[in-house]
Amino acid sequence: MRTEEPIRASERAIAFEGLRKTYVGPKGRRVEAVRGLTLTIRRGEFFGLLGPNGAGKTTTIGVIAGLVKPTGGRALVFGMDAVRDYRRVHKLVGVMPQEEALDSWFLNVREILIYNAGYFGIPPREARRRADALLRRFDLWDKRKSQVNELSGGMKRRLMLAKALIHDPEILILDEPTAGADVALRRQLWTLMRELNAQGKTVLLTTHYLEEAEELCGRVAILDRGELVAVGPPEELTKRVGGDVVELELDALPSALGSDKLKALAAKSGAALQDGRLVLPGTLEDPKVLEILSELARSGVKIRAIHARRSRLEDVFVELTKGLKS
Amino acid sequence: MSAPLETTPSDAAAAKKARISLQENAIGFYTLWKREMVRYLKDPLDTIAPPILSVVLFMLIFGLALGARLGEVEGVPYIQFMLPGLLLMSVILNSFYNPAYSVFQSRWQGNVFDFLSSPLSYTQMATAIIAAGVCRGLIVGAIVLGAAVLLTDLPFVHPPLVVLELLLVSVAFAGFGCVVGLWTKGWDGVNAVSIFLLDPLVMLGGVFYSLEMLEGVPVLEALTRWNPFTYLTGAFRYGVLGTSDVSPEPGLAMSALLALGMTLWAVVLFRRGYHLKS
Repeated sequence: MRTEEPIRASERAIAFEGLRKTYVGPKGRRVEAVRGLTLTIRRGEFFGLLGPNGAGKTTTIGVIAGLVKPTGGRALVFGMDAVRDYRRVHKLVGVMPQEEALDSWFLNVREILIYNAGYFGIPPREARRRADALLRRFDLWDKRKSQVNELSGGMKRRLMLAKALIHDPEILILDEPTAGADVALRRQLWTLMRELNAQGKTVLLTTHYLEEAEELCGRVAILDRGELVAVGPPEELTKRVGGDVVELELDALPSALGSDKLKALAAKSGAALQDGRLVLPGTLEDPKVLEILSELARSGVKIRAIHARRSRLEDVFVELTKGLKS
Repeated sequence: MSAPLETTPSDAAAAKKARISLQENAIGFYTLWKREMVRYLKDPLDTIAPPILSVVLFMLIFGLALGARLGEVEGVPYIQFMLPGLLLMSVILNSFYNPAYSVFQSRWQGNVFDFLSSPLSYTQMATAIIAAGVCRGLIVGAIVLGAAVLLTDLPFVHPPLVVLELLLVSVAFAGFGCVVGLWTKGWDGVNAVSIFLLDPLVMLGGVFYSLEMLEGVPVLEALTRWNPFTYLTGAFRYGVLGTSDVSPEPGLAMSALLALGMTLWAVVLFRRGYHLKS
C-alpha cells in the first residue's frame, strides 16, 4: 500500500529521510514515535498527514518547528537540514501548533502579532502593517486591543493562523487546525487554507478528520504507530483499497460479531468497524458480502440498514490503521 | 540514512530568501529583550514595587532604627556600611527573578514555541532574556539607590568598580535565573531556589554585618567566610565606601567567572533544548 511516485529534486519543499524519534519515558521505557519516515512534499502542494492519535504526526512536524530533537534521519526544507540549519528553515516555515501557544497575559492581540514579526527580524513599521492586514483579513480587527482570554475559541484559532503567517512563509504547517472547531469555523478555516495554498504556499496539514483531508489535500500520507503506511492522492488510495463498500448498521456491535465463524468471515473479507457500523469491501453481489449477511441473519443479528457506496478515504484509513485486526 | 540530496536552483533561491541579515538578527534580539522588559514593566506594582518596598523597610529598620545603636562598622556609620550590601542584594534577586519566572512561564504557557520556531538563535534567546534580567536588576538597584541617598551619603569612592561589579553580578544571577527557569518543573522550584539557596547565601554574605562583628561566633564566621557572596558584597562595598572587610579582587574575579559561567550554562541549555524540546 505504501507507495510514492518519484518527485524531482526541483519540486521538493519538505523531505523526511529515514526520520526517527524515540522518546524515553519514565523507568526508561522507550517509545518509538516515528520509525524511519521517508516522505517528500512538493512545492505548492496541499499535503495531508493523517493518522490516529499517537501515529507520530505532531512529532514529525515538531522536528521542522524546532520542538522535537530527532533521534535518527533528517528533515529537509528546500534542501536545508531542519536541525543543523534551523534558523533559515524557521524563516521559511510558519507553524500553527495544535495547542494554544499565545503570549497571553501582558500582550494584546495586535501586540502578539507584532512581537512575533519582530522575532523574525521584521522592522517595527512593517510588522505593524502586516499585523493590521492580517487582523483585518482574519476578522480580528475589532479585537486587536483585547487580551487572548477575551477571545472565543474560533478567534484564538484565527489568531494562531495569523501568527503563523506574519513572516509570509513559503511553507505553512498546520497541526490539527480544526480540531474541536464547530462546522462554521471549520469551513472558514478551510477557505483560508485554500486561499493560502492558491497563493502558492505549500501547506502541510495534520488532521484526523478524513473529510477534511479529502476536501483539501492533493495528496495524503497515512501514518500508523510512527510508520508510513500509504501515500498518494486520496482518490487513488480509495481506488487501491477497492472502489465499493457495503455498510451495515447492526443492532448490536461488537457482540454481533461474537461467533467464531462470523469473526473468521469478517477478517477474511477485510471488514472493518467504523463508528459502530460494519463496513465490508465489495458490492451486494459479492459472495463474501452475501455470506456475511446470511451468517448475521443465522446468528439472529438484526440489520437496521444496508448502504452500498463507493469507498472513501475513511475506509482506507480504517483498513490501514486498525480495522478488525486490532 | 539516505544519500545527501543535491541542491537545486530552486533550493538555492529558497536558501537565499532564508538568509538572516545583521539587521534581522538585531531586530530579533531586540524584540525578545523588549518582550522580557515589557513583561515586568507593564505591571510595576507586582514586579518592581514589592522588592523596593522590602529593601526600604530593611533600610528603615536596620539602618535607622537599629543602626544608631550599632555605631560604626569598618569606620563608617552602620547605615552606610549596610546600604551597599542591601543594594547588591536587590540587584541579585531581581536579576534572578525576571528570567527564572519568565522562562518557566513561557514553558508552562506554551508560548516558548514563539521563540523556538523563530529564526532566533539559541544564543540570542538566552542572552536577550539575560539582558532583560540585568536591566530589571539595575532598574530596581537604581531606585533603591535613589531611596538610599535620601537616608545617607554614599561616597562612591571607586565608580568604575561599582559599575563593573553591578554589571557582572546582575549578568551572573540573570544567567542563573535563566538556568533555574529551564530546570524547574513548577513555580515552586523558582521559589525554592530563592528561599533555600539565594536568601541564605545573601543573608549570610555580609550584607548586614562585617566579619569583624562575628568574632566569637565561629559557626557564623565560617559560614560567612566560605560564602562566595561575602566576596561579591565586599568588592561592591569597597567600590562604594573605599573600605571593606575583604579585599575587592577575589569578589571581582568571582563575579566575572560567575557571569561568564552562568551565561554559558544558559546558552548551552538553550542549545540542547533542555526542558524546551522533546
